[in-house]
Amino acid sequence: MSISWLVAHRELLERIKTRSFISMAIVGPLLVLLITYVLFVLGGNDKARWKVLIADPANIMDTKMLANNSGTITYDFADDYIQLKDFETGKRYQKYDVLLEVNEKILINKSAYLFYREKPNFSVSMTLQFHLERRLEEVLVERFTKMTVQEYRKIKQPISVGFRNIYDPKNESTTMGSWVGFFFGAVILFFILLFGMTILRSVSSEKSNRIVEVLLASVKPRQLMFGKIAGIGLAAIIQLVLWVVIVAFGLYVMRETLFPDIMDASKWDVAKMANEMKNLTFQQHLTRSSGYNSFVELIYERIQFDNMLFYFLLFLVAGYIFYGTFFAALGATSGSENDGQQFIIPIVLLLLIAAYAGYYSLSNPESSLTFVFSLMPFTSPMVCMVKLAQGYNPGEGYQLFVSFGILVISSLLTLRIAGRLYTNGILQFGHRLRLAQFVKWLRNG
Amino acid sequence: MEILQLENITKSFFQKIAVDDISLSLKEGEIFGLLGPNGAGKTTLIRIINRIVTPEKGTVRFRGNLMVGKDLAQIGYLPEERGLYKTMTVYDQAMFLGRLRRMSKSDVNTSLNFWLDKFEIGSWKNKRIEELSKGMAQKVQFICAVLHQPSLLILDEPFSGFDPVNVELIQNELIAMRREGKTIMLSSHNMKSVEEICDRVALIHQSKKILDGKVSEIREQRKDGRYAIRFKGNMLGFANALWAGFELIDHEEYGNGKHTAFVKLRGENSFQDLLKVLIGQIEIEAAWEVLPSMQQIFIDLVKTTV
Repeated sequence: MSISWLVAHRELLERIKTRSFISMAIVGPLLVLLITYVLFVLGGNDKARWKVLIADPANIMDTKMLANNSGTITYDFADDYIQLKDFETGKRYQKYDVLLEVNEKILINKSAYLFYREKPNFSVSMTLQFHLERRLEEVLVERFTKMTVQEYRKIKQPISVGFRNIYDPKNESTTMGSWVGFFFGAVILFFILLFGMTILRSVSSEKSNRIVEVLLASVKPRQLMFGKIAGIGLAAIIQLVLWVVIVAFGLYVMRETLFPDIMDASKWDVAKMANEMKNLTFQQHLTRSSGYNSFVELIYERIQFDNMLFYFLLFLVAGYIFYGTFFAALGATSGSENDGQQFIIPIVLLLLIAAYAGYYSLSNPESSLTFVFSLMPFTSPMVCMVKLAQGYNPGEGYQLFVSFGILVISSLLTLRIAGRLYTNGILQFGHRLRLAQFVKWLRNG
Repeated sequence: MEILQLENITKSFFQKIAVDDISLSLKEGEIFGLLGPNGAGKTTLIRIINRIVTPEKGTVRFRGNLMVGKDLAQIGYLPEERGLYKTMTVYDQAMFLGRLRRMSKSDVNTSLNFWLDKFEIGSWKNKRIEELSKGMAQKVQFICAVLHQPSLLILDEPFSGFDPVNVELIQNELIAMRREGKTIMLSSHNMKSVEEICDRVALIHQSKKILDGKVSEIREQRKDGRYAIRFKGNMLGFANALWAGFELIDHEEYGNGKHTAFVKLRGENSFQDLLKVLIGQIEIEAAWEVLPSMQQIFIDLVKTTV
């Protein structure tokens, strides 16, 4: 077993045995779940009435749509093409909240687009989709089959409706998705700060209780530093995995209990639902929890968790090593456990700048400053998460790998620099840490 | 056979010389004392041997070959400023430090049990260090240093902080290890212990070695013709018996007319001459040559080289 791994193993065991680690691993994700639930319940768009204009130049729908007796949704039909710009600004279209575009291709590709001024909540979205599907089933049966609608429903394919903001029809600024990226980035910064401080405390206490000299008789300073960073990093990853497992399980339970599986169209009993529609019970069922909103949709439908989690883990590890080396060097060069506190401020400041960079890139995804932030190792773990959630433009995906590459190279570089500071500072006791000492120890290779 | 040889070792920290051209050698199976006032460079020299600090000049040889990292597995080290992980148990601590010294888990177990039984502290095995007293923790530190049965044990101020009972316990262990052929290098300010257990010493002062050799030879070389006479009788009679060839420099009285007088010989006079002068005047119980203590030699040398 390598020496660094022995050091890492000891650090890991020491961390995961502490009460704070265990409580953090349980309370943290439960808090996230609680916040998520509150957003599920409170975050809905409670607009009472929706006026929908169906642009149907091929007259496929034959100006018919399933009735909605509650009056929440009303439909009008237009028999010509409507330009998005006209719908957005045209006076005669201002009374409509939603434009549903139905062209002749819908019978083949089962795909339609719905442009909204204000994003409908989940129940309204589901109802709109449901109405369109039911009507199209009737059209398809009438035009192409000799079956009854009920027979057809047994063999039918679901229809896809893309919801688009009329002010951003190309879906360029998926703000909600960006916030998810911001959240992932913030978690990285949070973990870096939390476990970076753990590295600092651990190095300082080894120094102040003088065990370090015993260790240095068997371990090289760099091995000790790397083992410490790795061990505490592993504890962070275990903490994170526990978070992911508990949050994922919590979301699953919420979906199965609080928000039952209406999102899974394959589980719908269509005939029963159509029947219920007439008695309004389906609508009541949809809104039973009064919480189906865009946030629910975002969590369950829009986030590509596997992709995000993969890159999240990569940037977390590289970012943690990058910042962790600073904390280790600071711990090793301080004269006592309380010394060097003032030198934490620049590191925290860098983390705050990273947080700001993430916020900036939320609203300025295409700005050149965002591009610079995404390349700088101080800010890239945060900004790349936001950019990843926003989606890289076609042909620009390589930027993610460039950012990661720069971060990895920078981490190796800081590991080397911090190793030098660590080696020179770890056996110096009782002094007051000054900037001049840093420079002196950096020069002394 | 020499187990360790230091040749012309020099080390400085930012223009301040800590060790200046020091050469030393340690033979297998001896206890070697490294003496010197605070700040003389002893700890730096010990750190160089343990490869914690790299010298600017000079070489360290272990069993005749240039020392390499894996030789550290044969060296045990107890630093002056020593500590343990407070929240770890004695067992976990020993396992961690033993594994760092490349021991297998079973070897650590066997060795730890041996030492715990030897010091009769088996019940501490699963106690956390923070639950132990300072003296108890020091025993654990010593055990951790010798766990891997090193051929060379380096102890920096091993007796500091120990009570007299524990000092004797550790001294006895060091003597027992010497009997087994182990080599021990210790730096200490406890000159009584140095006199009692060290075979050879080196004195370092202001980063330079100013003396080395066998303890007995150093004391013999530095003797200044002092003798002690324990007698029964009158102190005035004793003083009157001495003539110009002898100088009474001190005396101790024990009651019941018993005294010990310290006399320095002058000129060509010998111990025989002293005895001839005294016999018949007082009732002599014992007489012996007084060698200077290591403490006295240490103080004299340090003062004269300032």
